[in-house]
Amino acid sequence: MNGVDVHAWVGGRGDPLLVLHGAGGNRGWTRWVERVAERYTVWAPTHPGFGGSGDADWMEGIDDLARFYLWFVDVARLGRPHVLGHSIGGWTAAEMAVMSPGALARLVLVAPAGLKPETGEILDVFYYSPARVRELTVHDPATVPEWDALFGGAPTSAELETAARNREMAARLTWKPYMHNPRLARFLPRVTNPALIVWGREDRIVPAVCGEQYRRLLPRATLTVLEACGHLPPIEQPDTFARLVLDFLEGRTG
Amino acid sequence: MKLYYFSEMPHHEFPDEEGDKYPSLRLELPNRFFDRDKAAANYRRYLDEYELADRVGFDGLMINEHHSTPSCVNVGANMTAAVLARTTRRAKLLLLGNILPIEDNPVRMAEQIAMADLISGGRVLSGFVRGVGVETWWSNANPVHNRERFEECHDLILKCWTAPGPFRWEGRHYHFRHVNPWCLPLQQPHPPIWVPGTASPETAVWAGRLGYTYVPFLVPFDIARELFEFYRRGAADAGRPVTPEQLGFLICAVTADTRAKALEAGRHFVWRMGPTLRGPAEFFSPPGMRSRAGTQFALKARPRSLATMSYEELVAEHFIIAGTPDEVADRFAHVQRELGIGHLLLEAQESRMDHATTMRSIELMGTKVIPAVAAL
Repeated sequence: MNGVDVHAWVGGRGDPLLVLHGAGGNRGWTRWVERVAERYTVWAPTHPGFGGSGDADWMEGIDDLARFYLWFVDVARLGRPHVLGHSIGGWTAAEMAVMSPGALARLVLVAPAGLKPETGEILDVFYYSPARVRELTVHDPATVPEWDALFGGAPTSAELETAARNREMAARLTWKPYMHNPRLARFLPRVTNPALIVWGREDRIVPAVCGEQYRRLLPRATLTVLEACGHLPPIEQPDTFARLVLDFLEGRTG
Repeated sequence: MKLYYFSEMPHHEFPDEEGDKYPSLRLELPNRFFDRDKAAANYRRYLDEYELADRVGFDGLMINEHHSTPSCVNVGANMTAAVLARTTRRAKLLLLGNILPIEDNPVRMAEQIAMADLISGGRVLSGFVRGVGVETWWSNANPVHNRERFEECHDLILKCWTAPGPFRWEGRHYHFRHVNPWCLPLQQPHPPIWVPGTASPETAVWAGRLGYTYVPFLVPFDIARELFEFYRRGAADAGRPVTPEQLGFLICAVTADTRAKALEAGRHFVWRMGPTLRGPAEFFSPPGMRSRAGTQFALKARPRSLATMSYEELVAEHFIIAGTPDEVADRFAHVQRELGIGHLLLEAQESRMDHATTMRSIELMGTKVIPAVAAL
């Protein structure tokens, strides 16, 4: 992509679904993706500056990432894909929709950052240790089916280095104003695409009140709040989450 | 060798057991523990001490700046410089320094340093620093831009001092369409520039390339020598010779009439080494602030945190020098021989080191130590 190598997981069958990961990085072909890939061709790229993708030190914010992915949609010939984004990936999806609503089909926003909460604050994830942030990210590790596979072992030095690089790029994109775009709310009403917003009731990273804000601002949005769930619905409740996504993308809901 | 007197202007005016309740004294200790009356008295006291240091013959007065921490309530290096520019007569005013990456207006900074230089009759030594991570949190400047902003802010300040205005500046981080400062430094082309180092090889190379005076802070001798090697490498790339005039070192030091008194006073520095540096890694090194090379070097430079060392160990390793004037002069000479430096910066005050002890130490440094090391 114009000098930036983009690593991507691609698989499945059916209409294209672009999946944009959160600040923790691209977790790849996890259980919920496998389910959704039975009906959709999943494109899960790794953001520039993260994981296996190349550097993009010139980027300054999530709006740059959104423009980058609108271009990616063209280059990868995805036509008019559905877009699903989690956390900063959800914020990116919202910015893409605001810039070019006609380029996208349905939107799934999972605990997206991007709006300043009316009450409470988005956790300053850079201020706390990665271990502490992980504790706060998930409601109850004991209920997470893939916990051991994803977070169980001691990280290798390569994994630690990737995690540090991910954090640095996330900081580059979201530092100030922290994790939100004060003007995004002014533009969201433009987005008439069907949208599903998913939030964990116990989200301690981005307050669930932001889900209400997104729902009010997006003309065709529904909000589903999962009980006993934190900031990672796709990982914490993969089967429920995949079912929600499939029902929505296939037009049974929303 | 030239000696510099330095006070961090600490505010150690709260019960230590209260401080211990928080993850760090920096950023987290609530400012309800800031005692306004004591602070007012301390600022005056610290300035009196600086003024004595000027009168007794210190070559320079070092001034620094930190934020959101009781370890240093000097929240404006240029403000202190302005005061001392008027109340001192002879010593250099070593700003070490202004924290460039968190500065949003380099033009104003260039003007302020110039004004201090003018008022002082050209005594400013203008140090530029990257700041510790805490200042990044305080200012909310993006840490991933720290080095870029440091260099661009420096470039713009230098241009303010040396290029005729008006001019335009459109950089990556700074944008000014009409730059024409009506305040230029007395020293020409500009005040000498100093740069401290704690762990970053890139900073050492950069300072060497530009010929700035480079001063490692509180690192073991072998690490200081290694940083000086990086400095020499940068200097060699630019074809610049390196003399002791460009190399300095910072330690904590106090003297008294007897060894016992000096050792008792020196114990106060342990607070600065330990509790004030305690805190989560994220506070001191937010994401992207250090390069990978810098991070690796930092681990090597600090195999043991100063916070974990006893007073005796800190003395044995020359992080703290405390003794009679003769003993102190002897240790300073040792540091000079070990490192080949031309400038020794003495952090010589802690808030619980009382005023009388501090004043006596300054006086003895002036009458006995400075003459003993001047010829080194």
